[in-house]
Order: sequence, then C-alpha cells, then structure tokens
Amino acid sequence: MAMLSRRKFLSASSKIGLLALLPPIAPPRTQFRLFDRAYKPTPDLFVAKTGAPAELVRRVVRGLGGMEKFVHKEDVVVLKPNMSWDRTPAQGANTNPEVVAEVVRLCLKAGAKKVRVFDRTCNEARRSYEHSGIAEAAKKAGADVYYVYKRNYVRVKIPNGERLHSWRINKDVLNADVLINLPTAKNHSISKITLGIKNLMGYLGDDRGKIHRHFSQKIVDIASILRPQLTILDATRLLLRNGPQGGNLDDVRWIYTVVGGTDMVAVDAYGASLFGLDPETLGFLEEAYKRGLGEIDLKKIRIHKV
Amino acid sequence: MITFLASHRFTAAMIPAGILLFLTIFLGRFFCGWICPLGSMIDFADLFIKRKRKLTRNTARFRWIKFGVLTALIVMALISVQFAWLFDPLALSNRTFTTSIYPIFAVLIETVFGWLWPITGLQSALMSLHEFLESWLLPLNLHFISQGIPIFLLFLGILLLSLIAKRFWCRNICPLGALLGIFSKYRILERTVRGVDCTNCRICRVDCRINAIEDNFINFSKVECIDAFDCASGCPENAVSYKFKVKGVLPSRIDFSKRRFLQSVGTGVLSAGLLKIDFVNRETRGNRVRPPGALPEAKFLDQCIRCQECVRVCTTTGSLLQPAWLEMGWEGIWSPIGSPREGYCEFTCNLCGRVCPTGAIHLLDLPKKQKTRIGTAFFDRNRCIPWNSGDNCMVCQEHCPTPEKAIIFREGEFITGEKKIKRVKYPYVKEDLCIGCGICVTKCPVEGTAGIFITGEGEERFEEQEF
Repeated sequence: MAMLSRRKFLSASSKIGLLALLPPIAPPRTQFRLFDRAYKPTPDLFVAKTGAPAELVRRVVRGLGGMEKFVHKEDVVVLKPNMSWDRTPAQGANTNPEVVAEVVRLCLKAGAKKVRVFDRTCNEARRSYEHSGIAEAAKKAGADVYYVYKRNYVRVKIPNGERLHSWRINKDVLNADVLINLPTAKNHSISKITLGIKNLMGYLGDDRGKIHRHFSQKIVDIASILRPQLTILDATRLLLRNGPQGGNLDDVRWIYTVVGGTDMVAVDAYGASLFGLDPETLGFLEEAYKRGLGEIDLKKIRIHKV
Repeated sequence: MITFLASHRFTAAMIPAGILLFLTIFLGRFFCGWICPLGSMIDFADLFIKRKRKLTRNTARFRWIKFGVLTALIVMALISVQFAWLFDPLALSNRTFTTSIYPIFAVLIETVFGWLWPITGLQSALMSLHEFLESWLLPLNLHFISQGIPIFLLFLGILLLSLIAKRFWCRNICPLGALLGIFSKYRILERTVRGVDCTNCRICRVDCRINAIEDNFINFSKVECIDAFDCASGCPENAVSYKFKVKGVLPSRIDFSKRRFLQSVGTGVLSAGLLKIDFVNRETRGNRVRPPGALPEAKFLDQCIRCQECVRVCTTTGSLLQPAWLEMGWEGIWSPIGSPREGYCEFTCNLCGRVCPTGAIHLLDLPKKQKTRIGTAFFDRNRCIPWNSGDNCMVCQEHCPTPEKAIIFREGEFITGEKKIKRVKYPYVKEDLCIGCGICVTKCPVEGTAGIFITGEGEERFEEQEF
C-alpha cells in the first residue's frame, strides 16, 4: 500500500471538512402539520347503542356529518386505539379491533392517503399488537401498522403547561393531518377511569412513568397540545375492575355503545357517566375544564342518539 | 451433551445425543469436523490467524488434557457439581452468540442508523428499512445482556489457542471431543494409504487440522481423526482414501496415562469440593428469582447448561432474565436470574420453558405459569412516592398483571414536612396474589432503586413428584 503523505492527508481532510459547510438538504421543519388544521370542538356527542361494533361506528360517524368532514383527500391520518396491553379483545383492556378496523375503512373511503396505526405499548409490543387483535384487523382494513421507532421522537414545547413545559412526542403524530383518538372505556386506579385523554400517553417518548405523579395536571398539559380532531370512544364493553389491563372476564360488561365527538373532554365526561361517575369528581376532567379544553357539564353537552 | 451425564434425568434432548454417540462408534468424530458450531468458528477464525511456524506443530503431547478435562468434569458430576457447561462447545457457542456477538451486531446496525438519522429527508426511508429489519433480524428493543465481556473473553481465548496450532482447542482441550474420541476407538471408517503412491511428502501430516496422522504418514489415530478429509483432498498423489473396513478393526490408543487419569480425578474432586464449600450469602441469593418452572435450586444447577437460550428469548418479551455472576455462588455462574429493574416476566409468556434444552426450566402451560409464584414484591416505603412524599402514584398497580390485582390502595393520611395533613392512596402488596413477575419494579418511576422490590419469598419451584 502506498504511504499516505502528510500533504495528501491534509488536502484530503480539508476537502472533507469543506463538506460540513454545505447547507443541509432541506431546512428542518419547525411547524408540524397536526397543528395546522383548524380545530373547533363543539360539545355535540353522538351516541349509538345496541348493534354490531362496526355498525355502531358507522352510525356515529354518519351523525357527525360523515368522515369526509374530518378527513380530506390525500390526508395522512393517525389513529390512536388503546393497544397497550398483552390482552385479548374479550378481556376489554384494548380498543375493540372491529371498531378500529371500521374507522380505518371509513378514513380510506373518505380519501385518506394513509392511515397509520401504532402505539407505544406497556407490555411487549409484538405481543400487544397481536393479542389485542388490532394489528391484524387494522392491516386487513388497509392501515399501515408498525412499531414505534425510538429515534422518531421530537421534543415539543407545551406553551401553557403547568407541570410540564416540554415533552418528547412521536413525529408521525405531529406530521399527520388528522388525529383520531380511539380510546376504550376502562377502570383505572388513580384517575378512576381511563378514556380519551389518558389514551394520548401512547404517543409520548421518554419515561412516561414520570407523568403519573401530579397526574391530572400533567396529562392535561399533554392534552393541551395533542388535540385530536375526532374522538370515538369504544364502549362496546366496559372494564369495570382491575383496570387498566384487567384479565378477568367477570370484570367486563358488554354494553355495545360507541360515542363520538369533536370535544375529547366531553366524550370523556360522557364516558365517566357510563361508569356512574360524576365527571366533576374526576381530577383530570376538572383540570381540563378549568383550562378551557372542553365541556364536562353533562347538562351543557348535547347528546344525539343515533 | 456431556452435561447429561451429570444430570440424573432423561430428557428429549438426549435422543439426538444418543444417535450421535451411536454413529460415532462407526464413523468417528464426524461431529467435530462437520457439525460442531464452535469447530466451524475456530476454522473460520483460522483464516485470520498467522502462525509463526508454517508447519503444523505436533501437539500430541497435549492430547491427554481433553481426557483430563472430561474425567474431572465427570468426577465433579458424580459429586453432584455440574460444571460441564463451561466447556461444552454447543452451550459455549450459543452462550457467546446470545450474550455478545448478536448484541454487538445489533448495536452496530443501530449505530449506523444513528449516523444517518439526522439527514433530513432520509428518515421515512430509514424507518421503513428498520421496520423491515426488525421483522426478521433486529430486536424491537435492544436489551443488553450482562456478562457479555467474560463470556466473550473465554470464547476469544479459545479462538486464540489456534495461534499455537490449528484447532488447538479441539485437539487438546474440548471434553466433548474427548468423549467422542473414546467412542471412536474402534471405528470402522478407516483411512487407507496406497503405500506405492505415497512419496512421503508430509503434506497430509501438515494439512491435518487435528494432528491425527502418525509420523509414518500411513497410520492415523482413530481417537483423534474428525473426518475432515484434509489428508485425502490435499494428497498430490491421491493416495489417501477413506473406506469402511469391518473385518480386523484395529483400535487406536487413547493418549491418557494412568498417572494423568489419577491427576484428573484428583483435580475433579478438589474442584468439586471447593465449589461445594462455597459460601453463598442468603441475602444475595434470596433476593434473586429464577425463571418460572425452574427446578429446585440444586437440581436446577445440575441441569442448567448456561446456554442462555432462556435469556435470549426473554429479551424478546419481558427481558427479566440475565446470566448471573456470583449472586448465586460460583456454582451459579451464568445461570439465569431475574433482573427486575431491567425487565419483567411477561404474564402471557412461557417461552423460557419452551426453549430450555435440558428441562432445567420445566415447561408450564400458560394457566399454570400465570399462577406460579417466582417471588414476592415488597414496597420500600422510604422510596415509594406515596409512602415517602405523599403524592399519589400508581404505575406499579396499573401494570400489575394478575387478573385480581396484587397491588391495592388504601387511602390514608400523610403528614407533610409543614405538618399539613393530606389524603393519599397508599399502595400495598396482596401477598397471596403476587406472583413476583417484577413488572412493578421495572416500571417504577423512581430514579435508581425502585420503590418496590422482589425477593425469592414464597417462590414455587417445579417438583417432578408432587405428593
């Protein structure tokens, strides 16, 4: 091998050094798409009872004015089902796969370019994706289902945060045109129940365990920046005890209900009433109401049976 | 494989071992030349090793060592100290790949992703590539395995022995080679040299990676030969061939003198004795859990060959298991123990029992496994957030997987530093429901030592006969 002379080394390394002066190929994005789309929630809830899960979803979406109202042609849609737990659909810990699949179909019908389904799970991801039945059902319906990649997070400022001032959030959510929240109705020890607002935790990076201290304030901080255009609550069954992951079939009650609305807080408030709870006694709902994120007074929420 | 001599049980994995031994009686050590993964890796590493002396050294004077190692291991097994795993080539290969080579590989790929990631416009392509890779090659989450360094150093040492001579390990140290060699003594696959064609060029003697050919180039040691056929393929005169010869089988000598035999027995007895008198602190041992379905400790150590299969599959689910260092004593080195701060036992998983080749971890069906207690959780009230600082927290309770949760809350008063009274939900462990899976420890948001910990309290081991 020819010896590398000092002269050659210097000239080569200075050339490589010059490369660093080249401008980046594209300027980094500072504004994310999710924040672009106008968001005007109204406390109108559409509630469908008795029927097959997919049919309930169709009725709710029809009531809301059709999926076309939310999903425009060529939109990238991200769905957030709860698929955190390595549990079967019957155990009621994750969103009903039939509900997820139907929403996927409706989005694609409305002209969505891509429907993405992913979650940062609590149990091991592959197991949770498979056993929840959601991965298979959503894929069959035409969605892109994939696992989150640890580098795909970006730190986002929370301008009006009380406890949290920034947090790392999944970029694919931020880059979506539409975010549809698909929580399931479950009992939960601290917030008493877990619904739409808590479901957003699936998009957070970092150590999410840290959220659980001063939970109500922190979760509402997150909800103040991550605002789904549409929330469809899967209450086809309620997990009444031992939530949020259950495991005991006796704790699951099937009530075949689906609730949809543009006001995530109102949907959660209605969800609380399904458990016989007064929304105003739930810390996170009270906090969200106080900050003007949505309505929790059941008298002011307009309920449309569909 | 030799490990089975140490265990007093019959397992399904012994069937291929039996077939292998049976075939070896006729064919010789074909396993060493054609199947053994460690042998293949040694041969591969040989491509990069330059020996000072061109000619293969005659290392026949070291041949006895492997018989010595085998003898010592058997003697130890008879005293019920099973250490055959240390040098078993199959266990050794698997252990090295699981704890070091595969993780290194995965980390390097991930590093390349890290370099490329900041390039704008490339990210979606990288994500698709990663998605593709993780479907068959990469782990979803990198879980590091402890003990990778000592395990790799042992492996590296074995490869570097080739600096002395080709396949030095296989020639002189491998106890499995010794065992197979003994079985090959009367093999009928005979190396024959057509004397008229042989020019005494010594090429076969130099080529032979296992040093099995005698000084006259005609005779060979049936005990040593591994059927690599270096001599036949390298012979310029094509004078060497292998044929079955049933009549008048000439056995070869096992190079193991009575004196060496007695020395090895002595070494075995002494080693076993030293390991038996090893003091294992009740505290370090009792704070550790074993995988669900593990046999009672003494039997478990007898059967476990430290192949790390359980550890490997565990990293694809909850990642509880890690190879031990001295936590379970010298006898427990590299046996699987729970490391609940890093990972937990996944409730709906029984893979460790499925992959265990020796039955050290008994396969429990899922309903049974989900009720098998491997330990018990205790709150550390000085660290747990509600107990220590009076703020509600419920991460452990949220993750507790038993259908009837083993962590419950009772509301009580908390007196703050300013002597104010707060209502707080204090968490408790319901001991009768806890199975010790450790997910509470893994997910505890407290930095460093968690606010909850697992000990082996109440652990249930798998007993073959339950009365």
